[in-house]
Amino acid sequence: MPQLTRLERRDTDMVLDWDDGTNHTIPYDDIRHACPCASCSPQRNEDETSMMLRHTIENLPREKPTVRTIGNYALSFEWVQGCSSGIYRFERLWKLGEKQDPDGGKTYVHGAW
Amino acid sequence: MTLSPSRLMADSPVKVNFPGQADSAPSVEDQKRMEQSYNQMKRKMSIAQMGKAIKHKIMVLSGKGGVGKSTVATGLALSLAQEGLKVGLLDIDITGPNVPKMMGLDGHRLDVMDGRIHPAKGHLGVKVISMAFLLEDEDTPVIWRGPIKLGAIQQFIGDVEWGNLDYLIIDFPPGTSDEPLTVAQSLPDISGMVIVTTPQDVALLDSRKSLTFAKSLKVDVLGVIENMSGYTIHGKSMPNEDIELFGPGGKTINATADDSGLWSATLDIFKAGGGKKISDDFNVPFLGALPFDPGFVRGGDDGVHRIVSEPEGASALAFADVVSAIKDQVEKSSSSPGLEII
Ligand SMILES: Nc1ncnc2c1ncn2[C@@H]1O[C@H](COP(=O)(O)OP(=O)(O)OP(=O)(O)O)[C@@H](O)[C@H]1O
Ligand SMILES: [Mg+2]
Repeated sequence: MPQLTRLERRDTDMVLDWDDGTNHTIPYDDIRHACPCASCSPQRNEDETSMMLRHTIENLPREKPTVRTIGNYALSFEWVQGCSSGIYRFERLWKLGEKQDPDGGKTYVHGAW
Repeated sequence: MTLSPSRLMADSPVKVNFPGQADSAPSVEDQKRMEQSYNQMKRKMSIAQMGKAIKHKIMVLSGKGGVGKSTVATGLALSLAQEGLKVGLLDIDITGPNVPKMMGLDGHRLDVMDGRIHPAKGHLGVKVISMAFLLEDEDTPVIWRGPIKLGAIQQFIGDVEWGNLDYLIIDFPPGTSDEPLTVAQSLPDISGMVIVTTPQDVALLDSRKSLTFAKSLKVDVLGVIENMSGYTIHGKSMPNEDIELFGPGGKTINATADDSGLWSATLDIFKAGGGKKISDDFNVPFLGALPFDPGFVRGGDDGVHRIVSEPEGASALAFADVVSAIKDQVEKSSSSPGLEII
């Protein structure tokens, strides 16, 4: 997987530049909807709850997140409103950019480690 | 003061008065709930604060029990402290916490002041918090139900007054239980975890499990440490004489005495090189091997860790090597990946 070299926060989306020349534009709503934390993830397991999650997110006020690096492997997005718990591995961001299912089609089962 | 879990929970740091109580006083339950969420928020803030005050946080895990996780965690803390760094040690094992013993803090009780928990000072100034400090009697481990246990862990993380630390080492119970998950989810910016293994096949098999587990926790693996690696014996014979020993498993071990007749040989009590192999298999760094040293057992019993009693001994030196390998990894993983955020 290529390395992320640049992340530009725009009003409603962000542009990701990877070192192989690929550029992705990911809407903030998509990022938020793909939050990998233990409270958002299970909501994506069922279509209905997933849509509800989406709906909640779309009704949040527009804002630019604060972006922080987590170690050398992930980013976190801090929002004034809504969930800021997720740690997004670069793989996840890449998948989102490539419009692939970031959960890889797997349902989230709490405690199933 | 002796604390039971319920006592700890009740000892909430803040008492809140809610506005508008006069006309529409909230019910007792509502007030409780509000107080709880207020405390939770306070805790979140203090955890965020702690994320900054503690530079590096390292989890010590193993797949199997009894491989020396606590001995290694304590040794790492002491070895780092020996270098003059500020170090904390958090022992999260509720069923068999033995860190206090090795730190000379046997019988210590939790020190709570103004709603904050104050760590005890162990050998070499290492700050220690152990689940054992909660127990009324060390010999009767409490069986806490999951939520209480995890709640206590969160409190341990949020309410401890560590101050500024260079390193916080966290020792866990064996296996892939809930505790590491809770810690990984509550504590921001964990530098990574080290996996302790012994060279036996079973232990290695379990380490494979814990490496897979590590991936699911989304915490970086700093590497694998092989504990109880080899046992070195020393002897004396004629100068320059060739020595032949019959080691474990019928293996012949050769050594040569030096000019004054002294020789040493290392016996692989278990199979050698297992830690290296597993780290190769999983493509994670090998952080080094620690010798089998009966002094660790004695040290565990009389409250003086080997590193304290023999700071220049072979085991202390082996620990120093492992520590320097860990530091390399930590630095590598905290160096920014050259990402520009606009
Ligand atoms: N390198 C070593 N050489 C000799 N004995 C050791 C070594 N490391 C640990 N031990 C001994 O092995 C026993 C188990 O060690 P320890 O309690 O550290 O293991 P643990 O993995 O933390 O156990 P648990 O899974 O119960 O938490 C102790 O008696 C300890 O003194
Ligand atoms: Mg232990």
